[in-house]
Amino acid sequence: MSPPTPEAPGPAEPSDPADDDQRSTESKEPTMLLARMAEAVYWAGRYLERAEGTARIVQVHTDAHVDMPVGEDVGWAPLLAIVGVDSEFAERYSQASQSGEGTEDVAAAEQDVIEFLLHGEDNPSSIQAAITSARENLRTARPVVPREAWEACNNLWLACSDNLAEADTRAGRVLWLRRVIAGCQRINGILLGTMSRDEAMSFLTIGQNLERADLTTRVLDVRSESLRPNRGDSYDVVHWMAVLRSLAAYQPYRRAMPARPQGGSTLRFLLQDDRFPRAVSACLTEARAQLKGLARAEDALDACATASLIVASAAVPHLTLGGLSEFLDEVQVALDDIHHQIDETYFRPTFVGWQTRSVAS
Amino acid sequence: MLDLDRGKRDLDDDPDNDSGTNVGGDPGSGAATAAPWPSYDPGPFYDEMVSATGEPRGAAEALWGHSSDLGPEALSERQDAADREMRAIGVTFTVYEGSTGVDRPWPFDIIPRVMTSDEWSMVESGLVQRLNALNLFIDDVYHDQRSVSSGVVPSELVTGSPNFRRECVGVDPPGGIWAHICGSDLIRDADGTVFVLEDNLRVPSGVSYLLENRMVAKHVFPEMFRHYSIEPVDPYVGRLANMLASVSPSTGDPTIVVLTPGIYNSAYFEHAFLAQQLGVELVEGSDLVVLDDDCVYARTIDGLQKVDVIYRRIDDLYLDPEVFVPDSLLGVPGLIRAWRSGRVALVNAPGAGIADDKKVYSYVPDIIRFFLDEEPILATVPTLRCGDEDSRHFVLSNLERLVVKPANESGGYGVLVGTQATEDELAFAAKQIEDDPKKWVAQPVIPLSTAPTLCDGEIAPRHVDLRPFTLLGPEGAYVTRGGLTRVARTAGSLVVNSSQGGGSKDTWVVDTRLTSGPSGGAARSGGGGAAGAGDAAAGGAAAGDAAAGGAAAGDAAAGDAAAGTRGPEP
Repeated sequence: MSPPTPEAPGPAEPSDPADDDQRSTESKEPTMLLARMAEAVYWAGRYLERAEGTARIVQVHTDAHVDMPVGEDVGWAPLLAIVGVDSEFAERYSQASQSGEGTEDVAAAEQDVIEFLLHGEDNPSSIQAAITSARENLRTARPVVPREAWEACNNLWLACSDNLAEADTRAGRVLWLRRVIAGCQRINGILLGTMSRDEAMSFLTIGQNLERADLTTRVLDVRSESLRPNRGDSYDVVHWMAVLRSLAAYQPYRRAMPARPQGGSTLRFLLQDDRFPRAVSACLTEARAQLKGLARAEDALDACATASLIVASAAVPHLTLGGLSEFLDEVQVALDDIHHQIDETYFRPTFVGWQTRSVAS
Repeated sequence: MLDLDRGKRDLDDDPDNDSGTNVGGDPGSGAATAAPWPSYDPGPFYDEMVSATGEPRGAAEALWGHSSDLGPEALSERQDAADREMRAIGVTFTVYEGSTGVDRPWPFDIIPRVMTSDEWSMVESGLVQRLNALNLFIDDVYHDQRSVSSGVVPSELVTGSPNFRRECVGVDPPGGIWAHICGSDLIRDADGTVFVLEDNLRVPSGVSYLLENRMVAKHVFPEMFRHYSIEPVDPYVGRLANMLASVSPSTGDPTIVVLTPGIYNSAYFEHAFLAQQLGVELVEGSDLVVLDDDCVYARTIDGLQKVDVIYRRIDDLYLDPEVFVPDSLLGVPGLIRAWRSGRVALVNAPGAGIADDKKVYSYVPDIIRFFLDEEPILATVPTLRCGDEDSRHFVLSNLERLVVKPANESGGYGVLVGTQATEDELAFAAKQIEDDPKKWVAQPVIPLSTAPTLCDGEIAPRHVDLRPFTLLGPEGAYVTRGGLTRVARTAGSLVVNSSQGGGSKDTWVVDTRLTSGPSGGAARSGGGGAAGAGDAAAGGAAAGDAAAGGAAAGDAAAGDAAAGTRGPEP
């Protein structure tokens, strides 16, 4: 590794006022955040959100599954699509996923899918894997996160690891998933209640919100495939209620939109309601607010603005008639771009030509 | 030559035969009418809690009484609670199984080891004296080598040592201090005398476990803390922060970092713990870069930030691939250059390891006399250097009664315990010594003291050592009040290393003036709770509420005393 060429460390060149400003606060209380730590907390935020989000989706799907009439059953495959592990699953259980419609096979598929999603060894996106990754990242980031948050995550990881067998029955699964959701909420609570609103917190929050937005679009994307507008039967309501519930959005939706759940209003709520923290636009607003507190965030902010614009300008009622999937793809690309810009700017910078800074001496 | 009969009570015994097997075998050995553990018999060893006549030592009386009231079952429940807590808060250490590291919960025995503050004050001054002298010696080694020219140590001890770093010659670290943090290994022989067994001056570890042990002990044994004025261990972190700041080459608020080899290192838990407690960043080598101005910078999200002080937890040889092991990915190219130019402080300084090998160990008493003009306060285990002809003959004819150690290894590698060796092992050791005598030193077997330890629901004596931590900076010295007690968990075993299945204990330095003194708020009857302790314990309980203030005062006094014994500034 050869050190990058520095700026000539000669006489200090006059720096811009913003820089001066920064220095004066730092000389009082020096803080710094390593690029590697920023990346670790960002990913901790993402993985925690992924674990919680996946747990909600599986739980709600299990509940809704019970309500569906025989024959209308959408099966368990949509869960795989939401998490984006259809091909990994197919590889692991090629027979099970291809087999017929018989109840025996459906039951078997349920068991396999659930196991795969919760803790499948070959599934890097399983809930257990997400918790493990969150823990590893928080472990790396221990110096910058509250001790209690790390301990809560460690406890969640231990509790989940110790009870994997429990997760494989329907009754035990509910408990296991609840534990995951409660554990993640507990960590969030500790972070909100005890962590300084510093740069580390910003990266964690950004990670959470990007993951949240991504998950919401995935849920909508997969669920929309089974959407048949104007069918008008009572299962439509069950369907959209499940969509809302899997994003913890049912009650907020009900309060915001007194109409009973249906495609258009659900979509509008989950995409554009700025007051609901899992709506895509609200996630983007939060990410943008956090980015504004960081230096050199211009590119990431641009990407964020682009994504917000796409979401805000969606012609929601028309999307229910067609083109929803394409639209959601567009949103996901925009979300990816925000991640990309953050990654480039903060986690993998080259440092060439950067102004070195030191605490005023 | 060597008084091999010192601590004789042990030497003729087979150490495997002591505890456990002959528990309760000597009914005459204790007048202990109220003994909580009637079958507890430490045998010929000095026991930390029980005297030779089977009575609790003064400072341990309340603990003794309370343990008796609780009984082994309740103690086992507390032990389970402690194990669960260690696991929950993620106190782990890494053991290597093949090439993969596995995190193990930190093994902790809930029965504390108790010492008096009076004894501790003696140990403390001894440790500070020793660290002062060793630092003067290291600074001398890399400058004038007066200790060599005056004949205190032979020149080959210095220049022939694999721990001598040519790159350090002529460097002047702040205050002339090289070894800022020392983790000493202390042991007690059968008479109760405290010996220094090792000075660890490179990257000593264990202090995080010391601090976590105390926290868990408070949670599982809260009532005991009301019976005693136990000196706090928490001030260590603040002292460490001050010491690190005091060696900064910059005048402003220094940027301090902890440098770790990474998440897979066996001590990573401690590295993260210390960074978190200090409120500084935990960096890996790849997070740092040395630029052409010879300054060290950290790669932060806001660009490169100058680093002033590096508390490094990487061995010398991996610090800088430009100077040492060239293919090391752990270090920072140019780091030694930056340190030599005085732009960054390294704690401990490179090259400090010259003063902690086994051969130098045998000269430490002379080093103390030479540099400080004082007599050593703490005992040193008599050490024979096999390079000396007389010593070699003595060692070879007494192998079965000695411990033979390679002079330059650490961590117990290559150590032969003569009393436990087979004929073949003895013959092999003799050959090794004859082949390369200078590589070997020999010491008498020190019968380590024992402490009551919970083993499978029973309380049994197990051998212990003690690792306190000493800080030394330009502004003074500080010694932890107590240390990390390590305990062998197998009966008769002298191996206390956690990597070899050893456990640990909280160590209580008890202020007996507060505990047993007639004053100290004797009018108050303490917090009630666990009763049954003797009179001394009642006194301790009475002083309970005064404990915090009293202990804090004791701490300040200790700091002053420690500073007072600081040697002449080089």
